[in-house]
Amino acid sequence: MKKTPLNEKHKSLGARMVEYAGWEMPVQYEGIAAETIAVREKCGIFDVSHMGEVYVAGESAGDFLDWLLSRRVTGKEREQITYAIMCYDDGGVVDDLLVYTFADYYLLIVNAANKDKDLLHMADSLTSFVARNPEAKGKVAIEDWSDRYAQLAIQGPDSLEMILKVRDLLDLTSEQEQVLSSLKRYRNLELSPTEGLPMFISTTGYTGERGYEIYASDTKVIELWDALLAAGCVPCGLGSRDALRLEAGLPLYGHEMSAEINPLDAGMDFFVKFDREFQGEAMQGQNTRKIVRLVAQGKQIPRDGYPVFYDEEEVGYVTSGTYSPTLLKGIANALVRVDLPDDVKELAVEIRNKRIMFDVTDKFLG
Amino acid sequence: MAEIKKDLFYTESHEWVKVEDNIATVGISDYAQEQLGDIVYAEAVEEDTEISVEDVVGSVESVKMASDIYAPVAGKIIAANVDLEDEPEVINEDPYGSWFVKIEMSDPANLDMLLSADAYEKLIEGE
Repeated sequence: MKKTPLNEKHKSLGARMVEYAGWEMPVQYEGIAAETIAVREKCGIFDVSHMGEVYVAGESAGDFLDWLLSRRVTGKEREQITYAIMCYDDGGVVDDLLVYTFADYYLLIVNAANKDKDLLHMADSLTSFVARNPEAKGKVAIEDWSDRYAQLAIQGPDSLEMILKVRDLLDLTSEQEQVLSSLKRYRNLELSPTEGLPMFISTTGYTGERGYEIYASDTKVIELWDALLAAGCVPCGLGSRDALRLEAGLPLYGHEMSAEINPLDAGMDFFVKFDREFQGEAMQGQNTRKIVRLVAQGKQIPRDGYPVFYDEEEVGYVTSGTYSPTLLKGIANALVRVDLPDDVKELAVEIRNKRIMFDVTDKFLG
Repeated sequence: MAEIKKDLFYTESHEWVKVEDNIATVGISDYAQEQLGDIVYAEAVEEDTEISVEDVVGSVESVKMASDIYAPVAGKIIAANVDLEDEPEVINEDPYGSWFVKIEMSDPANLDMLLSADAYEKLIEGE
């Protein structure tokens, strides 16, 4: 199992460690519920060093990525981060990712569990891209930079205050401090390199709260972890990360999207632009299912894979289900037939051989 | 370290069993509640249900996990602890005080299959 630079820190805090995507990661410290609430009300810190970083550079890198991904990465402000989906030719999903733009390269932040598969897919795609655009031959380089970067997520209403408490470690100039304080969502701020590695902080996260993610060297991330804990950040594990993302209505690869569930099925239409050619455009018109959000009327908790019924007919299944520590009840995403009427107010979930009614809702949090 | 009560029997699926005359009382061990984390849901199968060994007699769920509770012995459920449904968190606080069901045993030989406290301690050391 691979270990992040914070492995010993987690163990000394008494974290329960689990294997996730080949990494030994903390699933919880004090408890998933307390950690979830800490992020909603104050500020939590997550070790997300397992995430993959893929470097893409060269004269044709932008054109290649525009073709590889569900929306364009070119023609944007440099600090703007693009969330995009990488698809197979049929529209099935390889991975979902963030694209950061630097002076002469792009950095793709990919799911740890998918990184090796992503690299193979990207190599194949580059071959196809060059076959279509012979002038791009030799003008795109792809490298796995995952070992260079460790990563922290600092999430919650107090996250800016926490970041400013460690301004010295981030080597923030007063001008950068100003910029950071008013930075819009999905923006990147490049910081001074540490140990020759470009360090950067972005207004991104996976919790639905205001938050930041810092990408830096192992040594820097260890220093930041200690300082941010001292500043008052609550250490949070993968358990609360998953509860937070589901409460926020965010998809998780392997649940709401996969090789078998295309982005349109997953309701991610906003992130797919058909006004051009790209790999996976064949998904257009192949939208047979949709994601609905379910919230419990009683105490029962829907779980992944439970079947979903409408008028006695099985119409889909739960893709992600959990107890919501914020709402204090069960919540779920379910993938159901696309022709299910949009005004359906209730669906049944089969839990331990009983059909239990759940309310259909637009979003879980207000 | 998880507490293991010496006067109870245990199962490989982490139930504890208290035997008094012909009645087996069943709950989940301290180790099981630690592994589950914050318990947010619990239910026990209704009274008067006839059950065989390893039938489901209850369910317990934490934020992340759902887990069934299995009958360690055959017989009839003569009491189900419905209070757990309203206060599932007490299982975290007092696992050995939080029973799910009481079973009137039909075959006392089932008890031979249960683990002693010492054997259970060895089992969880190996996990």
